[in-house]
Amino acid sequence: MTRADTLVVLAAALLVGWSYTQFWGTLSTPGAEVRIVAGGEEFARLPLNTDTRLDVPGPAGVTLVEISDGAARCARSPGAAGICQRSGWLREAGDMAVSLPNRVLIEVLGDAETRFDSINY
Amino acid sequence: MRGRPQPEHAPQSCAHPVDRALTHTSMTRTLTLLLIPFVLLLAACERPAIHTERMLAFGTLVEVSIYTADEDLARAGANAVREDFEYMHRAWHPWQPGAMGRTNQLLAMEGWFSVSPSILPLLKLAAELEAASDGLFNPVMGELMEIWGFHGDEEPQAPPEEERIQEWLERAPSTRYIELDGIRARATRPGVRLDPGGFAKGYAVDRAMERLMDMGIDHAIINAGGDLRAIGQPGRRAWRIGIRHPDGEGVLASLELQGDESVYTSGDYERYFVHDGTRYHHILDPRTARPARETRSVTVMHHDGALADAASTALFVAGPERLGEIAGRMGVHKVMLVDPDGEVHMTGAMAERIRFEIDPAPTVHIVELSQ
Repeated sequence: MTRADTLVVLAAALLVGWSYTQFWGTLSTPGAEVRIVAGGEEFARLPLNTDTRLDVPGPAGVTLVEISDGAARCARSPGAAGICQRSGWLREAGDMAVSLPNRVLIEVLGDAETRFDSINY
Repeated sequence: MRGRPQPEHAPQSCAHPVDRALTHTSMTRTLTLLLIPFVLLLAACERPAIHTERMLAFGTLVEVSIYTADEDLARAGANAVREDFEYMHRAWHPWQPGAMGRTNQLLAMEGWFSVSPSILPLLKLAAELEAASDGLFNPVMGELMEIWGFHGDEEPQAPPEEERIQEWLERAPSTRYIELDGIRARATRPGVRLDPGGFAKGYAVDRAMERLMDMGIDHAIINAGGDLRAIGQPGRRAWRIGIRHPDGEGVLASLELQGDESVYTSGDYERYFVHDGTRYHHILDPRTARPARETRSVTVMHHDGALADAASTALFVAGPERLGEIAGRMGVHKVMLVDPDGEVHMTGAMAERIRFEIDPAPTVHIVELSQ
């Protein structure tokens, strides 16, 4: 094997390693984005590292989504039981809050390694 | 002769004359080495993964998880489930304009009418399920749900007046008071209003899963607010399902599903309100017209979604005392009930599948099925 061959093999190995981290690895930051669905449509997709407040209109009124310190929460929502607000701060991938009366879903995106594929409730 | 043959390890420079055969061999090797990472890259792209989409449909949170290497297929599958659920929700909503809403208007008039083809199978199924459950699952409690205020998206603030509850109990609506003649039907007494909420979601989950299978999807979960069906498996392991603890957000127990299985849970935590310190939930006992009090949650495993959905409601109302009897009547063999003291009552077949996720594990009572 020539020096050039060795270089090619090394380059190939590096490329394979890089592709592994890109496609299979866990280097992508979980919980980096929050997705807000209103009705049946995606209303917004926001980074968790930028503090902001967003009004999300729905059939029952306005749901206020707040992003602060790398987490999102349902700060205010029209449901009388306050179920959306009770979900608290959403930080980890897979965390979510739902307002059924206002048809709003707030979920943190990312590759969550969870024990269960689904929860029956 | 073109010149001195190059040793095999010499640099393959184009500037020098080289042996054609050796150059060819070396270039082939180099090209092969360059191709390897691209082949591996392609393999990386095709690795199957679980693609999960969450959506609000059928008045609840719906989660669709599809295990496939084809991301476009997973997205198309989730969209198909959303479309199907939205269609069925509109058609079967008992209080909004649609086929079911219209059926309820016509039942209230107590005259003969032609039943919509989308409602007829539900009407027949509703009658069968009510009979099988000895009336503990009542699919015509639409009016009672409205009296309690559980029919809308907003939670009610207070229980209804006693007089209204008594009026409903005197009418005692049942599918026995719906006469069917071919495609025609009529109610034979007032107050009969279909509310398919207790079994339509299970029926809808089955239809949506059939749609996914028609699209060539072999490994998936559809979970519509506690009505869950799983097919296939994600890779070499089984699907792992957690069953929510009725006391909070944690997981009480887990199950592994493989092949084609459904798990349905009804709990008193799904919809409720508190008034003067008393908690009122939405699973109403047709015998008392009030929330059933002997149960916190019921989990049923069965391959038929509509039956499992109705059975989970009927067994919730039945409570621990009649659990074995009603489960036997309805033909469901894998059942788990959590009572108000947190103790678990379940069949032997369910006990073989359940793994508790809390420490200490709850007290378990094994229930015999009545034949």
